[in-house]
Amino acid sequence: MTTNTQPAVLIVDDEEMVITSIRAFLRLETDYAIDGFTDPEEAVRRLETHPVDVVVTDYLMPRMNGIQLLARAKELQPEAARVLLTGHADKQSAIQAINEIGLYQYLEKPWDNAQLLLVIRTAIERTQLLRSLSEKIAQLDMAHSNLKDVQSRLLRAFL
Amino acid sequence: MNEAREPAMSAEEMLRLRAELEAANRKLTEAYKLMSLGRLVSGIVHEINTPIGSILSNNEVTTRSLEKLAQFLGEAQQRGTPPPAKALEIVETVRGLAAVDKIACERISGIIRGLKTYARVDEADLRKVDLHEVIRDTLKLSGCEYRRRVAVETDFGDIPLVECYPQLMSQVLLNLLVNAGQAIEGEGKIVVRTRNEDGWVRISISDNGRGIQPEHRARIFAPGFTTKPVGIGTGLGLAITREIVVDTHKGEIGFESEVGAGTTFHVRIPVEHPGSGRP
Ligand SMILES: Nc1ncnc2c1ncn2[C@@H]1O[C@H](COP(=O)(O)OP(=O)(O)OP(=O)(O)O)[C@@H](O)[C@H]1O
Ligand SMILES: [Mg+2]
Repeated sequence: MTTNTQPAVLIVDDEEMVITSIRAFLRLETDYAIDGFTDPEEAVRRLETHPVDVVVTDYLMPRMNGIQLLARAKELQPEAARVLLTGHADKQSAIQAINEIGLYQYLEKPWDNAQLLLVIRTAIERTQLLRSLSEKIAQLDMAHSNLKDVQSRLLRAFL
Repeated sequence: MNEAREPAMSAEEMLRLRAELEAANRKLTEAYKLMSLGRLVSGIVHEINTPIGSILSNNEVTTRSLEKLAQFLGEAQQRGTPPPAKALEIVETVRGLAAVDKIACERISGIIRGLKTYARVDEADLRKVDLHEVIRDTLKLSGCEYRRRVAVETDFGDIPLVECYPQLMSQVLLNLLVNAGQAIEGEGKIVVRTRNEDGWVRISISDNGRGIQPEHRARIFAPGFTTKPVGIGTGLGLAITREIVVDTHKGEIGFESEVGAGTTFHVRIPVEHPGSGRP
C-alpha cells in the first residue's frame, strides 16, 4: 500500500529567477509536481496542507531564513527531505543546520543541474521509503493489536 | 649644547612632515576603502551567484529544449503532419528562460557598475558628475549587504552636475548607507534624497534604525569611535567621510537623530569645486 503518487518538490527562493530556472529544468527532465514560492511564509502554509517529498530552499530570504523554514518543515513533515541551496559562502550556517535540523544535503549556488537532480531524486526515494516504512510499522502495530485482541478473546473463551 | 634652544623644526622639515602625514592619510583612506569592500564581498558573491546559477541552468535547459524541438519538427516534417503541441510549449519555455537571462545579466552588470564606480582607479580626477548615477551605482553595492531586510527608497530632486571626485563620493555614500543598514535591526527602510540648494547639492540619507545616543553624538566623527563590536566596526568610516566631504570637497556634513526612531545624515557639496581654478 505504498503511496504511488507523483513525487512533490517544493522550491523556496526569494528570487523568482531561481524558481523559474529550476522549474524549467525539472519539467524537462522529470514528471515531478513542482511548487515554487518566493515568500517562505507562504511555503510554510503550503507545507501545512500538502505533503511533499523534498524541500529545496535558499538561505538568505526576508522575514524567514532557509534554516528557520526547514525547521518548520521538520515539525510539519518530518519525513520530507531538507535541502539547502545557498549562494551565501557561509559554511558555518550550513554546519549549524546539519546539526540542528538534520539537513539531507547542502548545495551552493551556482548549482550544477545534474547534481541537483541527483540530490532531489535520491531525496525523493528516501522520503518515499521512510513513508512506506512508517506505513508498514503502522500496519504491524495494527496487526499486533488485532492479535492481542484475538488472544484476549481466546483467553476469555477458555477461562 | 642646549637642544631646547634650537628651532623646533625647519620650514623644510615641516613641509616634508606634512607631506608624509598627507600620504599616510591617503593610505589609510585607501586601506579603509579596501577593507569596506572586503566586508561587502560575501554579500556580493551571494548576489552574483544567484543570477549566474540561473543563467547556467537556463543555458543547459535551452540547449536540451532546442534538441527536442529539432527532433519534434524533424519528425513532423517527415510525416507531413503539423508539429505537435509540445513543440509550442518548448518554444514558450525557452522564451521565458531568455527573459530570465536578461534580468539575470542586468543584475550582474549593475553590481559590476557599482564596483567600478567605487573602486575605479583610472579616474581619480575632479570632474562634473551626475550624482544620481553615483548614488544608484553605490546602492547596488550596499544592497548586496542588506537587500533582503532593508527597503531603499530614492527621492531625487532636480540637481545639476556636481564637480567632484566620483569614487570618493561613492565611498561617502557607501559609508553612510552601510551605517544606516547596520543601525536597523531586522527590517527597515532607508531613504536617499537629493535637493538643489542654490550653488550646492544636498544629499540626505535617512534610516529608521536605532538612532544615536545623545552622549555619543559629539564623538561619532572622531577616528576610532565605534559602538560596534570588534570585527564589525573600526570607527574610521565617519572620520574618512567627513574628511572627503569637508576637506576634499569643501562641503558640509551633519546629522539629526532620535533614539529609537532613526537618523538622517546630510551631506552638502558645492556645485563648483572651490579649488578648481575658475576665473
Ligand atoms: N545611521 C546611524 N545610526 C545610528 N548610529 C550611527 C549611524 N551612523 C553612525 N552611527 C554611530 O557612529 C559610530 C561611528 O560610525 P563610523 O562609521 O565612523 O564607524 P563604525 O560604523 O562604527 O565602523 P566602520 O568605520 O568600520 O564602519 C557608529 O559606531 C555608530 O555608533
Ligand atoms: Mg561605519
